[in-house]
Amino acid sequence: MARVGVFVCFCGANIADYVDVPQVVEEVKRIRDVKYAIEYKYMCSDPGQGMIRDAIVQYKLTSIVVAACSPRMHEKTFRKALSDAGMNPYLLEVANIREHSSWVHQKDKKAATEKAMDLCRMAVAKSIANEQLHEISVPVTKRALVIGGGIAGIQAALDIADARIPVVLVEKSPSIGGKMAQLDETFPTLDCSQCILTPKMVDVASHPYIELIPYAEVLELQGFVGNYKVKIKKKASYVNFKTCTGCGACWQKCPVKVPNEYNMGIDKRKAIYTPFPQAVPNKPVIDAEHCTMLLKGKCGICAKVCLPGAIDYKMEDEIIEREIGAVVVATGYDMWDPKPYEEYGVGRFKDIITSLEFERMVSANGPTNGVPVRPSDGKVPKNVVFIKCIGSRDEAKGIEYCSKICCMYTTKHTILLHHKVHDSHSYVFYMDIRAAGKGYEEFVKKAQVDTGATYLRGRVSKIYKKGDKLMVRGEDAQIGQVVEVEADLVVLATAVIAPKDNPDLARLLGISYDKYGYLSEAHPKLRPVETAKAGIFLAGCTQAPKDIPDTVSQASACAAKVCGLFSGDTMKKDPMVSTISNEYCSGCQNCVKVCPYGAIVTDEVPVGHGSKELRTVAKINEGVCQGCGSCVAICRSMAITLAGFTDPQIINEIVSI
Amino acid sequence: MKKLTYFPGCSAHGTSEEFDSTLKLVLKTLDVELEDIPDWNCCGATSAHVMTENLALALPLRNLVLAEKLENTTMGIACASCYQRMKVTKVHMDENPELAKRINTTVVEEGTYQGKVDVKSMLQYAYEDIGLEIIKSKVTKPLTGLKVACYYGCLLTRPKNITQFDSPEYPVSMDQICEALGATATEFDYKTECCGASFSISNTEVVVNLSGQILAMAKESGAHAIVVACPLCQSNLDMRQPDIEKLQGIKYDIPVFYFTQLMALAFGYPIDQLKFPKHIVPVEGALANIGKVVPVPEKIKKPIKAVEAESEVK
Repeated sequence: MARVGVFVCFCGANIADYVDVPQVVEEVKRIRDVKYAIEYKYMCSDPGQGMIRDAIVQYKLTSIVVAACSPRMHEKTFRKALSDAGMNPYLLEVANIREHSSWVHQKDKKAATEKAMDLCRMAVAKSIANEQLHEISVPVTKRALVIGGGIAGIQAALDIADARIPVVLVEKSPSIGGKMAQLDETFPTLDCSQCILTPKMVDVASHPYIELIPYAEVLELQGFVGNYKVKIKKKASYVNFKTCTGCGACWQKCPVKVPNEYNMGIDKRKAIYTPFPQAVPNKPVIDAEHCTMLLKGKCGICAKVCLPGAIDYKMEDEIIEREIGAVVVATGYDMWDPKPYEEYGVGRFKDIITSLEFERMVSANGPTNGVPVRPSDGKVPKNVVFIKCIGSRDEAKGIEYCSKICCMYTTKHTILLHHKVHDSHSYVFYMDIRAAGKGYEEFVKKAQVDTGATYLRGRVSKIYKKGDKLMVRGEDAQIGQVVEVEADLVVLATAVIAPKDNPDLARLLGISYDKYGYLSEAHPKLRPVETAKAGIFLAGCTQAPKDIPDTVSQASACAAKVCGLFSGDTMKKDPMVSTISNEYCSGCQNCVKVCPYGAIVTDEVPVGHGSKELRTVAKINEGVCQGCGSCVAICRSMAITLAGFTDPQIINEIVSI
Repeated sequence: MKKLTYFPGCSAHGTSEEFDSTLKLVLKTLDVELEDIPDWNCCGATSAHVMTENLALALPLRNLVLAEKLENTTMGIACASCYQRMKVTKVHMDENPELAKRINTTVVEEGTYQGKVDVKSMLQYAYEDIGLEIIKSKVTKPLTGLKVACYYGCLLTRPKNITQFDSPEYPVSMDQICEALGATATEFDYKTECCGASFSISNTEVVVNLSGQILAMAKESGAHAIVVACPLCQSNLDMRQPDIEKLQGIKYDIPVFYFTQLMALAFGYPIDQLKFPKHIVPVEGALANIGKVVPVPEKIKKPIKAVEAESEVK
């Protein structure tokens, strides 16, 4: 005979305002198997949990129903209360009378109350058929994979490695450093980006617990949390890193010139190159798309001048495998191409540049030695117009969201311009100034005073050429008039967008992404670094636009999550997994096809007891199974059972109403 | 011989007669026969669509339905405003079946709209259906030496989702046609600014101001003449030029041609057939540049000095 205890929560006013809680309790008490029922203001609080613990002991209860919020919210809390009272935690059932009743039926209290009663009856009926279940233990491979070697990946890798957990850091370009390596100074403190980043890059390369794999891509990820297997493609660099000394003779003599990505194409690099002088690893690679030796078989100069003989034109892509337990994805961001702004003459006027191009020009290691110049004639600009929200907050041409960092970096650019060209003047066209962050508003205010920049609130509608000047016409909404500014140089604060490869990567890893291509976190507030797939975490702009402090914080948070995951030799896992009865399995393998997690494989078992003849059956890997129940529904011979959702449990629920 | 359904619009019989007659000359050379829509009516232009949606769509719809009775699949429209109304109606009829059914009841005597006929401006027809290669092949007197600023106005390429032709902000089709004729198209940033349109009558000041800016930019670009494909643009820029000159105190003397006039000229038609006397601003000054040797443009200065990769080597 079952003895069920029911605990109904007010959830403050969330439930009580729309559901008559005392009436629900009275109704529940009439059910035969319910031996105890009570309401309380906050069941999840310590006194609330105490009521559950005490009742279990006092009334010798055999299963518990908590009628409260969604099980996603507090199922774990209440399970713990059960085990504290010495009861198997899986004898708990949660009736969700908040999200499923009070919140959605606010206009009809009577109906909401009746629905809450039905939900309680179902939960009671199900709980009677609940069985004791026990957590599953799975072994853990204590090695983490970090994808992307920008500041997010660097920080995550260093933090994990400092906890003496081995890290494999995969970077697609020849050097780590990412976008931050392209920046001159950083807001709001104006410390030099290179000065704070390059020491960390060196730390990564020299850390005994980090295996740095540059110029590589992730091809495949198999397995499940704690037990992943990853395939990595090391792209052919045509340079043997072991023998190369990084002397630079090769790129000095290489005759092929290619636009330099690091400097936004403002100057040229060679076909054999390191992206920038402070690159880590500081070894060159050959750009196969432009090298004449690789394209036409003629040249070979770099091999001739290389004293250690490190050049190998026959090198091929290499595929390596690593066993890992967790993944941190830190693939960063791209900048939006402002081409759709035809009314600005983007593409026609050379003196319209993007913010990252401006950043490279004012950088001390940039293509113009830190002096901003007009691309058309090389003159130093005096009047510079900065236009914010290019692509951001623009549903017609770009994307809807705010890119978050442009207000701050544009402010920084007015300061840098002021520092480098003393008699210059900045004009900033803006929609709003969004300076939320520690020291940010102060930074903007100070910059406005120090630089004397003219801030014009309004959109620019047109840019046209007059002589060698650019005429920027826009609205000054604060005086309600159209204004025209004569500019030597126009800088567009282009939007931050998700890397274009993100959707492919997300499919490869089995995680989700949003309509913009940003990778999705498990919960926007409470699980911002986890993905919905266990053991895969997100750091930096790959999740949403962020500044450096936020990126570094999230990267460290990922590291903490990884370290927590690896804190034991085995991992605990919910026992709500499917099992297959070999006796009933006909081997049709429909379950193999529908399993979204790849948890089901085939197996061979003897046809009969002691028989040597074999037949095919399905087999479930309980470490991978997430308990979705797809296989249970598709199985024709009813051979599959999902623990916690057995047929008697479901039938009891249906019969109860 | 190709056939093309033709909607001349009211201005072709009045203010822009030179557009209409030179268009016919040009199409004769290009072997295209025009077929007028029988019993065509006013497109509604600016008046109808500020009053009721029903009338604004029903007037062009009647023309579209009548055009379907001819066998041609394309309708060419000379006037930019007529083109705009006709194209807007077509898009609405094609994309909104419910609206289409309702509007169609007003022209039920003429027939049911089927969406068989494509609507194009004459500029679009010349650019897409005839093509630059054929236009080039018909040129007998190239306009070498003539620098023109091509002015599209607001209606020919906008809004983009309706017109589906060229760029809404910086179109180049007319520039390329003029280049095919041997002329030089200047870099002209005001090609889609507003000329003031129908305010010419009700509030002339607006037109004098807006068209004045367009003239100033055309002069700035070094053009001898402006080329247009819209009757209202032509009349505003040409007819209001004396007023503009008076207001600004600058003598422009920039004639405003229809692109078909220049095509006819380059195709070798005698000058007396091109209706130049209808222009307010005399054309002779600008046309005198044809045949003159164009000075070689000043060499573009060397772009910014970038630090070459070599200097980064230790």
